[in-house]
Amino acid sequence: MTQEDDALRREIRDWIAREAPRDWRTASTHEAFVASQRSWFAKLVGAGYAVPHWPREWPGGGRSLAEQKIIYEELARADTPRLLLSFVSTYHAFATLAECASAQQRSHYLPRILEGETWCQGFSEPGAGSDLAAIRSRAERRGDVYVVSGQKVWSTMAQYADMCLLLVRTSADGPKQAGLTYLLMDMRLPGVSVRPIHQIQGDEEFAEIFLDEVEIPVSQRVGEEGAGWAVAQATLASERGLTLMELSYRMRGAMLRLSEAVHAAGRTCDAGVLRKLGALATRVDAVCALADRFLQKRMDEDERVGDASIVKLAYSRCLRAWTNLGVELADLAGQMHAPITFGDLNSGNWMADFMNSYAWTIAGGSDEVQRNIIAERMLGMPREPKNWITEARP
Amino acid sequence: MSALRRELEDNARKVFPDWQAAQDAEGSWAQMAELGWFMAGVPEALGGLGLERRDLAVIFTEMGRARMPGPALAQFLALEALVQAPDVPGREELLENAMAGAAITTSLTIAGDGLSAVPDADTASQILVRSADEVALVGLAGAKITPFPTWDGSRRLFSVEPAPDAPRIPLAAGAEAAALTERLDGLLCLGLAGDALGGAEAVLAMAIEYLGTRRQFDRPLAMFQALKHRAADLKVALETATALYEASSEAAPLALGAMKAHCCEVYKQVAEEAVQFHGGIGLTVEYPVHLFLKRAFLNRTLGGSAAFWNESAGDAVLERTSAG
Repeated sequence: MTQEDDALRREIRDWIAREAPRDWRTASTHEAFVASQRSWFAKLVGAGYAVPHWPREWPGGGRSLAEQKIIYEELARADTPRLLLSFVSTYHAFATLAECASAQQRSHYLPRILEGETWCQGFSEPGAGSDLAAIRSRAERRGDVYVVSGQKVWSTMAQYADMCLLLVRTSADGPKQAGLTYLLMDMRLPGVSVRPIHQIQGDEEFAEIFLDEVEIPVSQRVGEEGAGWAVAQATLASERGLTLMELSYRMRGAMLRLSEAVHAAGRTCDAGVLRKLGALATRVDAVCALADRFLQKRMDEDERVGDASIVKLAYSRCLRAWTNLGVELADLAGQMHAPITFGDLNSGNWMADFMNSYAWTIAGGSDEVQRNIIAERMLGMPREPKNWITEARP
Repeated sequence: MSALRRELEDNARKVFPDWQAAQDAEGSWAQMAELGWFMAGVPEALGGLGLERRDLAVIFTEMGRARMPGPALAQFLALEALVQAPDVPGREELLENAMAGAAITTSLTIAGDGLSAVPDADTASQILVRSADEVALVGLAGAKITPFPTWDGSRRLFSVEPAPDAPRIPLAAGAEAAALTERLDGLLCLGLAGDALGGAEAVLAMAIEYLGTRRQFDRPLAMFQALKHRAADLKVALETATALYEASSEAAPLALGAMKAHCCEVYKQVAEEAVQFHGGIGLTVEYPVHLFLKRAFLNRTLGGSAAFWNESAGDAVLERTSAG
């Protein structure tokens, strides 16, 4: 740890002590939560902590991965609100614009992101989840517009988004990846409608997007027609392991909630309970160590294919175990329906936390997809033959 | 990984490329001495290599991978005890001999569990006795040494009752003994955890190789997703435990104990699945996968049980959070 790192850590710690909201868990509606997200993001932008991974010409940009890690460690340690609303904008949209978009597109959209314009991701469809390349939303070129019809699903906070990273099909010929095209869509265009998805724990973190003959100017295309799959890879690779480190640290901090549950149940002398608590605490420490090691590998440019999948699986399964233990310890009290805390995965509202943990075992590449990646690309186990459909048909 | 640790690993794999290479106990003991392993943790001023615990941690993993026979882990504890006991008469000679490979054994259970599970007590000349009151080197001449055969054939374990008049070299007493004992128990846990991870890695590789070779239903078993997913879960568990292990080498004794419990559970899980992956052949004595299964189960009980360490860790979580 260098002196500069120490200085940065002190600087952000002081700033958080002065500026971070403490009442963010009290938001009683999703709208209030979104409003608190907007004001917290604006504060971070003002202080230069919102986009440490952007280049130096942006306020607070040009930070090394080591410095970014410090910033997120401190934000997690101080139990500040996670940046949910602006996540797609500052990571996915940024990476797509920075790596694949035209200079004109970049200079138009990037400043607006810092001003609070939010983006959502229009990739998944009812028929294209883990099999993303099976996208069917159709874009037909008519003059200087693409006319798009179809349906997107599981778009995080799309109901509040100004813009959408949209992956559509422009051709049905050839390999399914080759017919995809990438567009930047204004959510206010005629023909776009959004319906929040009511989730089992009472949140509305995701939404469906319906596209009915939406006319998107060809100038909004990123990359060439048919090159959408490659652009989408840039979008998906945008997050560099910091989120899982931040979430792991938050889970470690929230061991307090499990202790409270043990106390509340009057089971502080119950050896069986203590064993489960101790084993889980060690597992959480292990996941934190794994996330740290992953970031270190990235800094050393020593990452292997599959490493990211291992971190995600380790975290998601541990989060499931963490929430499960909470439910078990809270016993009947844990079954009482209580209002949820928006934006918190480790709130101590155990059934809500448990149901929320699926967001990490399914979203962003399900556990099953991650297992395939690890087995096939890391352990060298052979892929299944692709000709299932032809074999199965008589 | 640092260049030094990479070098330790490379050298170990040259001498012990796989588990078969290490099975001649006498020969591998001499090779370990030749590699300088017994000098590794001893400060340079005392004639050692002055390596840190995280460097020793690499050696422990290699011992597990090679399914190392012999009392090497006990030897590391004895060396550490001598390093930590500056005022003992004759220490330099004792250290010198031990670094050259004169075996000193000790119990592989945590202090307080008596002198059980002592490797190679029948050939060692001294035993390191650890307790909260006294840490001492005790001569084994005239001791009652009872074999304790285990399903794991890689370690030869004994129960020991030293002779009442056995020569005794005290290394620490009182509060110093308690602190030293705790430190040595921590080192024992680190050693067992490393052994577990090395063994788990070796047996997982063995199982995945087998799945790639064995064909049923006109395809290699490794192509079945049901097996891929289980293999991937084992890989995740192993990598996660390894990250904790690497981050823990300087941790406090309690954290080392909890870490040991975690890593040994992972070894058991991997070895248990590895036998299942092998199908019927995994149940035959000619196939080596059972050797790792047996070592995994033994490791799990040595150095304090999972129940003991997890309960202590749970207590610590409650204490930490109610104090804060």
